[in-house]
Parts: sequence; structure tokens; C-alpha cells
Amino acid sequence: MSETVEAMSETVEAMSETVIDTRHLTREYSRDEYKVVALKDACLEVQKGEFLALMGPSGSGKSTLLYLIAAMERPTAGELRVLGQDLNRLSDGEIAHWRNAHIGFVFQSFNLIPVLTALENVELPLKLTHLKKRERHEHAETALKLVGLSDRLKHFPRQLSGGQEQRVAIARALVTDPDLILVDEPTGNLDAKSANEVLEILAKLNKDYSKTILLVTHDPHAARFATKVRYLDKGELLPEGQKPAD
Amino acid sequence: MGRYFPLVWKNASRNRRRSLLTISSLALSLCLLGLMMAIYHALYLSETDPAQALRLFTRNRVSITLPMPAFYLQRILAVGGVKQAMEFQWFGGAYKDARDPKNFFARFGIDPNKIFTLYAEMRMPEDQKKAFQSERTACIVGRRLAEKHNFRLGDRITLQGNIYPMALELVVRGIYDNELDPESLYFHWEYVRQAMPGRDQLSAISILADSPDSVPRIIHAVDEQFRNATVQTRTETERAFGLSFLHMMGNVKLILFSICAAVTFTIMLVSANTMAMSVRERVREIGILKTLGFRPSAILGIILSEAMLIALMGGIASYFLARALCGVIRSGPAFSSELMTLTIRPQVALVMQLAAVMIAFVSSFVPAWSAARINILEALRRTD
Amino acid sequence: MKIPLAYNLRNLAVRKATTLMTALGIALTVAVLLTTMAMVEGLNSLLRSSGNPLHVLVMRKGSSDELSSNLNRQVFQDLKFKSGIARGKGGDPLASLEMVIVVNLPSVDNPDGSNVTFRGVSPAGLEMRDHIRLASGRWFQPGRAELVVGKYIASRFPDARLGKKIRLARADWEVVGVMDAANSAANSEVFADVNQLSADNNRTEVLSSALIRAADEAAAPALIRDLEADRRLNVTALTEKEYYELQMRSGDLFRYLGLFVSLIMAVGSAFAAMNTMYAAVARRTREIGALRVLGFSRASILTSFLIESLLLASLGGLLGVLLVLPLNGFSTGISTITFSEVAFHFRVTPPVMAAGILFALVMGTMGGLLPAGNAARKQILTALRDI
Repeated sequence: MSETVEAMSETVEAMSETVIDTRHLTREYSRDEYKVVALKDACLEVQKGEFLALMGPSGSGKSTLLYLIAAMERPTAGELRVLGQDLNRLSDGEIAHWRNAHIGFVFQSFNLIPVLTALENVELPLKLTHLKKRERHEHAETALKLVGLSDRLKHFPRQLSGGQEQRVAIARALVTDPDLILVDEPTGNLDAKSANEVLEILAKLNKDYSKTILLVTHDPHAARFATKVRYLDKGELLPEGQKPAD
Repeated sequence: MGRYFPLVWKNASRNRRRSLLTISSLALSLCLLGLMMAIYHALYLSETDPAQALRLFTRNRVSITLPMPAFYLQRILAVGGVKQAMEFQWFGGAYKDARDPKNFFARFGIDPNKIFTLYAEMRMPEDQKKAFQSERTACIVGRRLAEKHNFRLGDRITLQGNIYPMALELVVRGIYDNELDPESLYFHWEYVRQAMPGRDQLSAISILADSPDSVPRIIHAVDEQFRNATVQTRTETERAFGLSFLHMMGNVKLILFSICAAVTFTIMLVSANTMAMSVRERVREIGILKTLGFRPSAILGIILSEAMLIALMGGIASYFLARALCGVIRSGPAFSSELMTLTIRPQVALVMQLAAVMIAFVSSFVPAWSAARINILEALRRTD
Repeated sequence: MKIPLAYNLRNLAVRKATTLMTALGIALTVAVLLTTMAMVEGLNSLLRSSGNPLHVLVMRKGSSDELSSNLNRQVFQDLKFKSGIARGKGGDPLASLEMVIVVNLPSVDNPDGSNVTFRGVSPAGLEMRDHIRLASGRWFQPGRAELVVGKYIASRFPDARLGKKIRLARADWEVVGVMDAANSAANSEVFADVNQLSADNNRTEVLSSALIRAADEAAAPALIRDLEADRRLNVTALTEKEYYELQMRSGDLFRYLGLFVSLIMAVGSAFAAMNTMYAAVARRTREIGALRVLGFSRASILTSFLIESLLLASLGGLLGVLLVLPLNGFSTGISTITFSEVAFHFRVTPPVMAAGILFALVMGTMGGLLPAGNAARKQILTALRDI
């Protein structure tokens, strides 16, 4: 399995600089006899090193697009290549490996493991790699240092503030050195000051380390940290530069 | 409390899988508890069968395995209050291959003209009785024994003796029904007596008293009569005689009590655990109930009732399980006549349910009490 | 194992009340099983030390035990001179004509009376049983109504202590010694002079059995074949070891009872463990979602929860072993198939303890597999949305 993952990473390097490429991506849900179209015909291209913010009101389909890109959901129709990989062709187990190797994910509600310390939480995804224990440790410490939490290594999530928890979550997302970081409403549960800290870290990751970041938010202030903004409305991805009319 | 019942019911059936698992777990433990209680009840508490209450056994004082002179029978018949007395001789020996436990069943030499008086509960057609009585080599077998070995009227059975070095060639002339003793074989003791003239000794004599009042008097009179003889006797009721065999197997009461204790404690743990889990998950809701104006006593009641409802369902299920297990024991090897009629009597069933409710009460009290006293704000803030 | 063990250990510690209650339930179940096993182990050890493989027990053909066997003095005189029998110090064959009766005496456990085996032995019989030492008092003297009791008899039967008198058929017999039979069944027997005991019972010509010692291991089977084949003698022969194994089959009843009860309790405890693990899975649904997003596969999630259940069960197993440990060495009586009491020690040996832990792990697997499967099957998105 791990060999296929390595093989995949090679193909990624060889391919173009396009990180995300969706063609007519559609996702429908059926509730009882009704069909709800969450996302319709979305065509999106994200280049390497971009920090793209997806904006729109709730129900606009922005989260659906994010989940499709993270392979947490499968599209009803359309094509989806992420890092040159056609996600529809991967099995569940392969997707798990692919995610671990290439994607970092930050949630609105942090989703740290309460019984593990900050360091252990960050170290967790490295358990799936071939790194030695000492290397895992070093990587995790570096990641926490990067988000400014080197003095909180042994703290449990409940001993941290919300902003600190979210920074631990970012450290956990970037510790595997992913090619793509997906961020879902990272500031939804935070006060303004903590929110700013978190967004600044994301901007720094993009600027100093050229990390490709896809940010989903409904907060215009958050979107300002991105290099590019795209809007969604009622399941449709609006053309570049266009805002929903309201 | 009745108006809260719908709420209690909803709560109990909310996490159906958990409730079912708890009920099954309780049912299994309670059924063991019930079974042990039923055995205890059957052995030590139940009323003696009226026919059994009139019967006594006399044996050698030193041990059942040593004989008494055969003339003791005549002397016992002369004791006041004795309606009938009969030799009741264990004939060991082997039937076919003795190493197969199936071939190990009780064989007694008796007097065919007296046995149906002494054991009035043995039922057999009159013509079979006559056939049995009129032929020296005839024998009768219990219904279950006959079914096990496929014995039919007219079949020949050979028993190779060991204590009595001879082969008994018997013919089945009757199949009797007796729930207390379904697996024995009875034959004419006279047959052995004639074959072995030198050994005119008996090891057990069965006595029928004329009334329950005579029983203690007979016990005293028989043993007193032989006090100064070479072989002294010991006389006891049939029930005590049977129990003494069981007691020789081991400390039955201690075993029953230890199993009950282990099982009861396990039930408490299971029940307490379930209630603690379901209360913990519901702390927020309890906070909401409180803001709606539910008093702590109502909340205490709702949670206690839920535990008792679940325990009671476990209790009812355990009753049926225990009844089924009694059936298994009844069809098992015939250790003691008390176990041959083992059932879950109403008293035992009632005690099982009471035990279930009591255990539920004790085990859910702590979580219920802390839920009732929890601070509203703290409860509402709780997320898990 | 991808998800760290600390994750499971700390989760168990966080829910300590639930963990402890579930573990205790498993512990009690294990304790019931181990009590049974300790008893069986004790009986086995008694058997191992009771039967000397060189000793051959001779009974009348068709007898399954010494009590129901009748052996004539004349038959004994004949079989004594078979070849392959070892010789004693005086040069005589090591063969002992013996008489066995059981006597009902009140014991500490059973005041109504338990049966005790009384054995009349000859001087050769004592010489053959060289594992027996006198613990106190002296040996009985030939021609006198004197008894030497096994050490368990002395401790379990108040009427059979040193200096007491026991009335048998005719005479009052005095207990003059206590013997220590190195953990063998003779500790639960009473020895007397064979001639004296048979006279007391008016059976001087018809005794019970004969015990003979084969010259060596190879001679024993040949001797048994020779005796069995001799139609004139009409006897059955088997090694002492085989004989004791047959006698202790009555222990099966307790073994089956113990297995039956622990099996039913095990199913109950597995259900309880299942409840606990389902609750754990439910409480940690979001965590499971997060772990999946980090790239942990369904298999890792399944393994992790299963391991947690196994940890919980092994805690129960350890507690169960601790509960049963004090039982080690505790002695009690059990009846043989001829209803005479034999005392034995409960033995909680390392294999018994290992079996207890294994049993707990089986319960842990039964209780953990379904909830772990449930955890592994969760869809990432539904798991993450769970509140």
C-alpha cells in the first residue's frame, strides 16, 4: 500500500502545478423522495501556492465542495483530480493513505483527541508514516513551535484556550508536510483576537512555506487573509470576481 | 409517579441496544440466581411429598456399605406404628460395559408384593404388576430408563454382580412411572437370596409409617431395639437419607451460596454501570427538565423507575430462562429425587423479581441521587 | 498498531467508574471459572501423587472399586507367587491383602456424617507405601484394635483425633497415630491391622483387594495381563494410578457445574462489556471522524477499539486471579464415586491463572468486536457532525 502512495507522489511531482482540478462536479442528496442539489457543475482550478477562500452563505455548497476535495464524500457526477489523482478510482483504504500523505485538515471545532496531550495529538498522523519515534517527536515539536505553542507541549486540550486548541489542530494538519491544507470555518468557534492569530498563521504558511490552502468561510474578515476569493451561491460556483447578488 | 411513566418508558427505550444488552445480561445472571434458589428451595425448604414423609430408611450405623442381619426386617415389622417394611437392596454390578456412564443406573432388590404399598406413587398397569409379582426373574424399570436403553416388555437384561458374585438374568415385565425416581430397576431380592444362601444380610430396609406422628417414634424405637446388638442401626427419614448422599458429594450449601453471591454482585455491577452511563449521557437533559420545573425528587424517581423497569424486564426474561434450565436439569442424571422434579415455584419466581428490583434500586441510587442534585447551569454546560 | 496504546489506556482511566465496574464483573466470572479449575487442578495433583505406577491393585473380576470387591484369602495366597512381583526387605513378595470398609463419621463440614475409608493393611502393605511417614503417635500393633489416621482425617474429623476411640462393628478402636502421606489420598484414609479389622467385621476369609508391587516399570503391564488372564483367580487388575483416576470421576459433577455457571456468567459479562464499549464508541464518535480524516484506516480504528476492550478485559482477568489467589492451598473434602471423602487442596497454578486471563480476553473479544466494528463503519462526515 505504502508503495502505491509513494508512486502516487512521484506522479504528482511529474504532473502540472494544478493542485485541484474539478470539472462539472455535482453532488446530489436524496432526502425521502426529494432530491437536493448541494453542488452543481462546479469547475474549479487551484494552482500550487495559492491561498483560496471559498465564500458563501450556509447552504451555498462551499462545505460540500470542500468535503468532495477531501474525499470525505463522493461526487454524483463530474470529474475530480486532486494533486493529479483521480479520487474516484481510489478505494477507502487507499484514500486513507492518500489523505495522510497529502492532505492536512483543520476543523471548525478543532477535533483534538481529549485524552492526548498537544504533542501527542500533533504526533498522531506521523504514526502512519515510517518515521522513527525520535523523528516524529522532532517534527511534532517543530510544528507546534511554528504555531507558537512550544511551551504547551504537555498540555491536554481542556487545559488550552480555544485559539490554542485551533493552533494545535493547525500544527497537526501541517506536521506531515501536506501538499494541500483544507480549512473548514477555522474561526467559527473563536473570539476575534484568537481568530486573527489563527488566520495569520495560515497566511504565513502560505507566504513563507508556499503551502496551498483552501479555506471555507462565511466570514469576509477571514477571507481577506487569502490571496484569492471565489463565491458560491445556491450550489453554484460563481465565475471569478463575481459576488452573489443581494 | 404514574404520570411520569411515558417519560420513563421513552428513556428506557431510547438506547434500545443498550437496554436490550442490559436486560439480557441481567436475565442470564438472574436466571442463575433463580436456579440456585430453586435448588436450595427444593433441597431444604420444600414441603415433603406426603407419601415420602411417611417413609424411613434403616441402615447399619457404621455406614450404608456395611450389612445388617436379615432378621432385622422381621423385628422392625413388629415395631409399633410400622405399617410395612421391606428390604431395599443395592445391587451394584455391571450392565454391559460398565465404563460407559450411560450403563450406570440404580438396581434394587425388593419385595414385589410390598413395593407398591410402600411406593404408592409408582404407577403401573395392573397386569404388569401381576406379571412382575408372579415371576422370580422378573424386573421393572422406570419410564426414562426404558426410553434411554430402549427396554421393552419381555426384554432380557443381564447384570454381572460384583458384591454378589453372580449374574442376574432378568426379564422386563413392567415399566413404571414415577417422577421422583424415573431411572431405576427393581427386581425380586428373593432371586439373589436363593442364589447365594450364605449371605442372608441386608444393607437397607425401607419402612412405611402408619401416620406422620409415628415417624419420630419409629426412628427412636428401631435404633433403640438394636442398641446392644452386634450391628447397630441408624434410622432416618427418606428425605434425610437422600440428602446425606448429596452432602457426601460436597458442601452443597456453601457452593450454592457462593454462586449466588458472585452472581448477585455481578448483576449489581452491570445494572449500576448501565444506569451510570445513561445518566451521564443525559445530564444536559436533566438540566433542561430542571429548568422546566421538575423537582429533584421527580428526577430521582424517574431515574430509579427506569432502572427498575429494565431490571424487571430482565427478571421476567430470567424466569423463562430458569424454567428452561430446570427442564435441562430434570432430564439430567438422577442424583437426587428432589432435583428430578425441579421447577421454579411461584415463591422462587417472586423472590427473583424482588431481587431484581432491589438490586436495581441499590445500584441506580447513586447516579440518580447525583443527577437529582446537580446544579442546573453546570448540567446545561455539559456537552457529553 | 497505529493508534497509540496511550489513547486507549487514558480513555479507560478517564471513565474509571465504568471501567472498574465492567472489569469487576469480568473478574467475578473469571473467579468462578478459576475456582473450578483450581479444584480440578488440586484433584489432579492428588491423583498424581496417589497412584504409584509400579503398584497393581487386584480386585475380584467385575468390581469397579475396592468396596464392592470380595477377594478370598486363598486367591491372595495364589497370586502372591506370580512372577514379576518385587521382593521386600525380608525377601518376601511385596503383596498386601487388604480390607476396605467405609465408616460414617461427623466431619467439620458435614455434622451429619461423611464417609471415611478404613483400610486394613498387612506389614507388606506398609512397606510398599514408603511415602507415608508417621506425623505423631505410633503405628498400630498387630492384633490390637488400634488405628492410624491420615493427617486430613485428624484435622477434619473431630472423632478421629489422636487418643479418641471409634466404635466399629464390635470393638472400640483407639487412634494411636497420625500419618503424613505426602499429599496422597492416604491422608484421607484410616489404617488398621488387616487381620484385626476383618475379624471385627466377621470377614476373616473374604477380604477386599490386594496391592502388589511390580519389580519394575516393564513388569507391571505383564503382571496385569497375567493376572487378568488367569481364569482360576477370576480377578481384575489395574495400576493404582488408573484406579484413583476412576475413583475421582465424581469431581466431574463440580467441574460441569463450575463450567456451566461460568459460561452463563461469561455471556452476561460479555454483554456488559459490549454495553461499555458501545458507550465508549458513542462518546467518541467525533474523535473517530477526526482520526479517519488524519488518515487512519477503518482497520486501525477497529483494532484500537478492540484493543481497548481487551485491555478492559485483562484488567478484569487480573482482578479475577487476585480474587482467587487466597484460595490457593485451601483444603476441602470431595467424595469419590463410592461416597467416601477425600481431602484435596485448591491449587491456583500459573497455567490456571493464564487460563483465567485467556477467558477474560475471550469475553473482551466477544464484547468488543461488535462495538469496534460499529466504530470502524462510521462514515467520516456523519461522525464529524455528531454532537
